[in-house]
Amino acid sequence: MKTPDLVRNESAAPVLAVQGLHKAYRRGFWGRRGAPAVADLSFSVARGEIFALLGHNGAGKTTTLKAILGLVRPERGTIEICGVDAQRPESRARVGYLPEAPYFHENLTAGELLDFYGKLLGMDRGRRRERTRTCLELVGMASEFGRRLGDCSKGMRQRVGLAQALLAEPDLLILDEPQSGLDPLGRRQVREILLDQKSRGVTVIFSSHIVPDVEAVADRVAMIRHGGLDEIRDLRRQPGGHGFQAVIAVPPDTSETAQVIAAEGLTVSRRDSDRWTVDAAGPGDLGRLLTACHLDDLPVPEVHSAGGDLESIFLAGLEGRAAEPEVASC
Amino acid sequence: MLTRTLAVAHGTFRETVRDRLFYLVGFFGLALVGATTMLSPLTVGAQGKIVADVGLAAMALLGLLVVLLVGANMVRKEMERRTITTILTKPVGRGEYLLGKYLGLGLTLVCMVGLMGLLYVAAVGLTPATLAWSHLAAVYLVLLELLVLTAAAILFSTLAGPALAAVFSAMLFAIGHLGESMLDFGAMNGGWQQAVTQVAFRILPDLEVFNVRAAVVHGDPVTATHLLLATGYAIAWIVVFMLLARGVFARKEL
Repeated sequence: MKTPDLVRNESAAPVLAVQGLHKAYRRGFWGRRGAPAVADLSFSVARGEIFALLGHNGAGKTTTLKAILGLVRPERGTIEICGVDAQRPESRARVGYLPEAPYFHENLTAGELLDFYGKLLGMDRGRRRERTRTCLELVGMASEFGRRLGDCSKGMRQRVGLAQALLAEPDLLILDEPQSGLDPLGRRQVREILLDQKSRGVTVIFSSHIVPDVEAVADRVAMIRHGGLDEIRDLRRQPGGHGFQAVIAVPPDTSETAQVIAAEGLTVSRRDSDRWTVDAAGPGDLGRLLTACHLDDLPVPEVHSAGGDLESIFLAGLEGRAAEPEVASC
Repeated sequence: MLTRTLAVAHGTFRETVRDRLFYLVGFFGLALVGATTMLSPLTVGAQGKIVADVGLAAMALLGLLVVLLVGANMVRKEMERRTITTILTKPVGRGEYLLGKYLGLGLTLVCMVGLMGLLYVAAVGLTPATLAWSHLAAVYLVLLELLVLTAAAILFSTLAGPALAAVFSAMLFAIGHLGESMLDFGAMNGGWQQAVTQVAFRILPDLEVFNVRAAVVHGDPVTATHLLLATGYAIAWIVVFMLLARGVFARKEL
């Protein structure tokens, strides 16, 4: 089989192009088509970008990812990975995939599982050994090389799943709810891995229904509702970036509050009569601000992610769906 | 293509070995010892026939058990557990995957029947009966039948859930061995029953081709021509079942 040239180049062509994707699953004995799981979805993902699909349960995120991977056949629309039709196996030569809540053969060890996938990828023995070790180290599972997967916790299996997705040194990484089932440390580790992959020029597309997970790493996010695309937001251009906003209840004399904020090098983005909203670029700034406020007895009734806009929009979309008909889940 | 197919086959073989399927070989040994010990006093001078009859029947039934438990469950289990998605999202074609699965389970059956064959030969050798070429031919034919049934089970596994696939496979086994009786029954009743039994007989494999137990027990020879024709017949049915399975599986949404 001829492997397409997916090696990272600097061409402007998108790594992934989805055009007019439409999919309704067949249901029941006669196989009648139900409501569309995905309806006329179009987007493209540029090289080195982290792109998120954000949507409620049953919105069509997993169906979209499965269509990209050739696991389901779209009724309409085209999907190309580096210009190769996604239905062709060779389009997946440099694609890594982590399914939601991955399950593996219980009797294999983590090392054997990765070795098996390495064989499917056509790697020779030396390369398999090297990649297995590297990938298990990357996901913090190096010490579990010989552990039976049946004895692994859900979080450990998620990490092994991530390791197998990284095995081929993919150009395109496709992750379905990659942070589900992980503890806070694991979630942070996944974030770091995704950002590390991005720094290596890898394109990442992942699905999630958790807004902070998306805001923490995504460059752009497609909000999907009932299988349709609501909008695509560029989080890189969003004011505040991936930071936070703290709302401080200010006393009548605001001078002391202004001094505290200025001392921390932060700025007030909104001044209401009794409440000021302060932008913090990251957890460090936020922590210092909260400590300073605590020392000066300044109440901080609200702290939220600077991407609160995204959450508001997402939630507004969800609240609006009660009146709409139920859709098919994947 | 071959590398990926063999990788899937190796993985499948390893899974079945670790699922302790080979314990069935132990049951086979116990069945042989039990049959020889309990029945021999009742059949003075015919111990060899008893061992041959019980041995070949036990081999076929234990093999069938593996096909029903593993083959009929194979693809559907991977679909339900979604282990299949991480495999098929590698550059592995669906046909390669199915073939690998078939070869993996086929290798398991070859090893199992091989081990049971050794026990069988040893058991026959311990009786006054002479070990003939036909004993080995019978073991080989049992293996061929199991390989045909495995391909059918994989086809059913792509079409239906594990329970239904196992039922279909068992029905195929039963019809395959009762074809002649079915034809007689149809001819006796005439009308649509005759037509149905004739169609069923023609479109399903005749597994009696692989059953030479009676010949072995009575000391009749099994000819090389029979073995060659049976091999060709088995290969033809395996190809048919696997092509059908591939056709169904290619359209499957995972």
